[in-house]
Amino acid sequence: MDEKELIQRSQAGDGGAFGILVERYKGKVFSLAYGFTRDRVAADDLAQEVFIKAYYSLPKFKGMSGFGTWLYRIAVNHAKDFLRKNRHRLREVSIQDVGEPALTAPNASPEENRVEEGRRTVIREALARLPEKYRVILTLRDIDGLSYEDIRGILKLTPGTVDSRLHRARRKLREKLAGRLGRQGGEYGL
Amino acid sequence: MDCKKTERSLLLSLDGRLSPDESAWLQSHLGRCPSCRRKDEEYRTIIRLVRPQTVPEPLPFFKDRFLARLRESQQSAPSFVWVKWAHRAVAISLAAFLLFGAGILLFQPQEPRELSRTERFLLQDENPLGEAASILDQKKAEDRNMMLIFASAGDSEVSRRYRP
Repeated sequence: MDEKELIQRSQAGDGGAFGILVERYKGKVFSLAYGFTRDRVAADDLAQEVFIKAYYSLPKFKGMSGFGTWLYRIAVNHAKDFLRKNRHRLREVSIQDVGEPALTAPNASPEENRVEEGRRTVIREALARLPEKYRVILTLRDIDGLSYEDIRGILKLTPGTVDSRLHRARRKLREKLAGRLGRQGGEYGL
Repeated sequence: MDCKKTERSLLLSLDGRLSPDESAWLQSHLGRCPSCRRKDEEYRTIIRLVRPQTVPEPLPFFKDRFLARLRESQQSAPSFVWVKWAHRAVAISLAAFLLFGAGILLFQPQEPRELSRTERFLLQDENPLGEAASILDQKKAEDRNMMLIFASAGDSEVSRRYRP
């Protein structure tokens, strides 16, 4: 069954048809949510809420953009709300994540892994302290690896604004890291 | 050497958005400028480290859990819809009430104001001289007296008795 038909049936209230769309997009939505939360359980919960919200917003979907772009837009907006509400809790989680086995290089020594993970944590914390608009665009581009075109569609920005905002965000992240590493004596020197 | 301009090219190069000519220019600049070379390395390291090495899968039975959650939300939906409509009804009633009140204040009929003597004279053509002239035109003194008596009957303050 093609996507258009699935959307039409979902709009008519067919939960099963929407279930197929969920199956198709769950990986992408979860990945996006994980990029924002860095916590598997929180990302799973967020992705579930995104699909519930999308199901009830389906009557408003007119097909002006692709279904994936529309879904991603809902996910980004929901993730922003989630981050605002859980700012403190997520910071604790990200600090506890240090040394998570799945995130370490397989052939590296324990010492190298520790240093690498320390660097990742420093960067993650700096990213969390960026203004929301910079954090969102960096998450979409550098963490989730979305194309410029997708980002333009999701955030409803002009190509020039995507360019300039992304550049400013990367510059600010680098500046934040320089200050932080200086204070910590450069243990995780980049 | 314009290192600020180089930084922009450097940021574009991170996404492979430079033309071959621009890329060659950037490489030649980086070969000569240790400060920009360090910046380039820092940006590339940050981008490498910011991306998680592995993204875990969603928790098991994602779709089944979603459908259960959807059914649950649909069961509680009627009350939700009722509450939503109740909120709308309250808002609409309040707006109608305010509009009605504003309408009354703006368009209420004004009490007829008593006109001054000059206004009466000018607007309603109540020229007292006109009345006096018609009285004086009477040829018989009795008629004039009778007219004066009737003219002053409704006016308690003014005595306009004609004395020939």
